[in-house]
Order: sequence, then structure tokens, then C-alpha cells
Amino acid sequence: MDQLTNALTGDGIALSFGGLKVLKGLDVAFRAGEITGLIGPNGAGKTSLFNCLTGAYSPQEGTIAYDGEKLNSLPPAARAAKGIVRSFQHVALCPDLTVRENVMMGIARTGTAGWLSAFLPLPQGTRERESMARAADAALAELGLPDVGDKFPSELPPGMQRLVEIARAVVGKPKVLMLDEPAAGLNNSETRDLTNVLRKLASTDLVMVVVEHDMDLVMSICDRIYVLNFGEFVAVGTPEEVRANPDVVRIYLGSDDDE
Amino acid sequence: MSDQATSLTAAPSATQRLASLASAGAITVALTAVLIVLPFLLGGSWTFTLGLCFANSIGVLAVSLLVRYGGEVSIGHTFFTALGAYSVGVLDAGYGISLWASVPLALLLGVVFGIVFAWPSRNLHGIYLAVTTLALALAVPEMINNLDALTGGYEGLYVATPLIPGLDMGLQRYYVALVMLVAVCLAVARLRLSRQGIALLLAKTHPAAADAFGTRRVWARLSILAISGGIGALCGATLAFSGSTVSPGGFTFWQAIFLLVGSVVSFYGLSMPRVLLGGAFVTLVPQLLSSSGAWIPVLYGLALLGMILLGHYLPRIRKALNRSSEAA
Repeated sequence: MDQLTNALTGDGIALSFGGLKVLKGLDVAFRAGEITGLIGPNGAGKTSLFNCLTGAYSPQEGTIAYDGEKLNSLPPAARAAKGIVRSFQHVALCPDLTVRENVMMGIARTGTAGWLSAFLPLPQGTRERESMARAADAALAELGLPDVGDKFPSELPPGMQRLVEIARAVVGKPKVLMLDEPAAGLNNSETRDLTNVLRKLASTDLVMVVVEHDMDLVMSICDRIYVLNFGEFVAVGTPEEVRANPDVVRIYLGSDDDE
Repeated sequence: MSDQATSLTAAPSATQRLASLASAGAITVALTAVLIVLPFLLGGSWTFTLGLCFANSIGVLAVSLLVRYGGEVSIGHTFFTALGAYSVGVLDAGYGISLWASVPLALLLGVVFGIVFAWPSRNLHGIYLAVTTLALALAVPEMINNLDALTGGYEGLYVATPLIPGLDMGLQRYYVALVMLVAVCLAVARLRLSRQGIALLLAKTHPAAADAFGTRRVWARLSILAISGGIGALCGATLAFSGSTVSPGGFTFWQAIFLLVGSVVSFYGLSMPRVLLGGAFVTLVPQLLSSSGAWIPVLYGLALLGMILLGHYLPRIRKALNRSSEAA
């Protein structure tokens, strides 16, 4: 596979759980400046691929790289330090933290104030917290949530919770943003808001990957789509190409035109 | 989306929460003020008992902190309290060194041994970790007795060196414990605001999410056990000074259970009023029941049950009272 500038690539990724082959030697290239969709029926291996790319799973075979740098041996925390961040299929916000503090977690790893500052009111710790809080507020405002910083996640509807998760992911100005079913559990209005936010976030130097079941969302925002089934890609292309692919229509989209 | 936000008016607003925090702060300040003047109103024995109560409150806080920030239960915190107590006892009885040096040593030992214990047990959770801490608790008295050249064995050690020479020792034993409790509570309140505290809380509820944002689970486990161990050792150091003696009887398996009971009674609270409630239960209830003979365990159990039920139903009782006062 060609080395692509600022791209997240996978070369021959294979993953098995016992005798079950979940991913069967996949080649992927998620490019900067594009929103890439990853779709497929339940059990196709989308989240497993996602977990391999973010370091939660270690594939038995294959190479994962960002901008040509091999990532295989790096744990999730180290990949986060390289700017590869993700959201979760089920909202993973801490209920004990305010929305602002949850978002601050997206840049907590960049903090330098030591343990003394954690227990004593030292200026360095105070300054760091204020600066992180400002960054979190800015990220929330960018996503259209300017007034929720002091609330707790449980006080927000599911759509806003999703956006808070995305704010947490983007607050650290990531290079790769991976969203695992961001529209799951959202109503039409919330999905529309999410679509607008994702379009707004897309930039020339950001790799954005979206695993999603909502076909309208995927078809409307993605530049390229990978279709996965039984651990193999059955189609790769633009939304129009994927929509026209008879295999995709058969295995995933259904034969009706209602998608 | 904004209309959905406005529809959630039932949730408490940020202003309400700030008001409740301010009122909690005011209660803590008022409570501290009362505790400062209390020795001048009470007799010597009560002053002594309250000093122990403050020390036990620090131990309750150490156990609650592990629950709140680490999601784990310890039934072996007497290991850390013993470390702290014998740091004070050995330096005092053996070398005449006061708390100025022995408290930092106690803290250091608590933190170091917290990490030493956390590393091999880093992959244990829930009941498995709790049972491992139980082993620690069971081993403590034996270890103290076997190291009798240092620890004084069964006889223990007497702590007599004042922190501030010339000042009444009875008052010092009380005020040192109070200052330690206030200081530890303030430090723990500060932790909640720090990036480390935030990271620990996320690691407790969503370890995978914390991992994905740069907080490793091993770091979280080592950190919380180091902090909890350090505070446990401060509890021991305070117990040694305020109680004036250090002996194996103060660090038995049952003492570890009592610290956990205190933590449960305080509903794992980390504020000063809550930990004082736990500390008071651990210290005062056995004293109040001391004349009940064979009924002590039964009455202790009933007191524990009563406290838990009261804590469970108190919010509902408050709500009902508020409703009835609004209706009137």
C-alpha cells in the first residue's frame, strides 16, 4: 500500500477471536481532508476494525500506520498522544464530572502541573485548569453547545451527550477523529444537528472516520465509504458508487430505494 | 436541539448546584469553628476522644477516596494506618523526633507502599482486590509482633514528644488531629478540581474512554492506591499522636472492618461533615456501647443498619418535608 501523507492506513489487518476470523486481511486508507464512512451489517467487523485502529485490540496480522509511522505496538493512550482520538458507540461520559470537565479530559494528557498542584492551590495548577476550561468552552461553543459547561451529562438529552463526546474528541485538535456510531439513539432533529457539526469539523488536515448505521447521514457527509461484511470489504468508493453497487444493495442496503 | 435543552427544566441548574456547594462550604466552616472552641467547653476525656474521632475520620476518608476515585473497596487499610502510626511511634520513642519529621515520613511510606501493593494487584478488581487487601489486614498484627525490636511488640510504643514544646499536650493531641483532618479534606477537595482527579474519575467509570484520551488504567490504579495509602498513613500518624500509644491492638482486622463501616456510614462522602460522621461512628459508637456486655455486636449492627436506613431515606424525608412546607 502506498504511503499517504497524513493518512491513517491499515495493511492486511487480520483479527481472530479463537477460531472466529473477525477481520480477514483488510487494507484501508483513511485520508486527511476526507470524511470516510465505514458501514456494514451488524457483526460485519466495523467496531473490531475501529478498535484495532485505535489500539483497543491488537490484530494478529497486518500493519497500522499514521503518516507512514507504524502504530501497532502503541497502546490507546500513546495513540491519543499522537492525535488519534475516538468517540464510543455507547456514550462514555463520566457522570461525576461536569460537561466542561468531561471535555477537558480531551486535553488532560497535555497538562504539566504535577501532583503537588493536584492537592495544593498552586498557581501552575490553577492556570492550567483555567486554560483547559477555556479550551473546553471553546470546543463546546464550536459544536453549538455554549451554555452547558456547568451541567452534568445526565441533564442533557442523548443528542447533546453525543456532541459533548465529540467536543471532548476535538478539543485537543486531533489529527484523526474516529466516531463510532455517533447517530445511535438520536432522533431526526438531533441527527440533522450532528450532520451539520460533522461537516463543520471536516478540514484539510483532519482524517475523519465514521462508523454508522444511519445511511442518510453516511451518504450525505462521506467522501468515501468502505462497506464491510463478514470481515471483508465488499465495496469501496464514493457514496454514489457504493449506492449503485449491487452487492452492497443486496447485503446491506436492501433492494428497496428507501435508504 | 436548543428547545430540548430548555425542556429539561426539572434538572437542577448550575446556580442551584453552586448554591448547594456554597452552603456545604458554610457548614464545613461553621463545623470547624465549633470544633476549634470545643475543648474549652468539654472535659479532657471528651477532648481526647474527639481527637481519636478526627484521626479515624481521616482513615474513613482514605477508604472512601478509594471507592469514589478508584471504584474499589479495601478491607485492609490498617496496613497503611499501621505504617503511619509506627513511623510516628518509632521516631518518637526511639529517637525523640516529633511529628515535624515523622508525618512526612509516614506520608511517604504510605504512598510508596500504596504503589508497591498496587503494582502486583493492578489487574485485580472488585471482590478479588478486596480479598487481597484483607490479606494485608490479617498480616499487619503479625508483622508488628515479629518486628518487636523496632515496634515494641505487644507492649507497643508511647508517643510523648510534643509538636510545639511548652504547649499543653492534651490540647496538642486534639488540635493536631483537627488540623490534619481539615488539611486532608481541603487537599482532597482540591484533587477533585485537578486534571489528575478528573482523569481518575473518568478512568473509574469508563476505563476504555480514559485510555483513549491518554489516561492509562495502570496509572490510575497506582495513583489512587498511592493517594489512599498516603492518607491512610496520615490517619495512623494522627492516631498515634492523638491516642498517645501505638500497639498491635489498634491495627487488627476488625479495625480495618470498622474503617470500611465508617466509610459506608458516611456514604463514601469526602466532605468534612461526612467523614466526621463516619469517624464518629467508628470512635464513639463502641464507647457508647461499652457497658452493654454481650449485646455489643447486636447493638452495633443495629446502629449501623439505622444509620444506613436513615441515610437512604433522608432525601425522601427532606423532599416530603419541603413539599408539605410549600403546600402550607
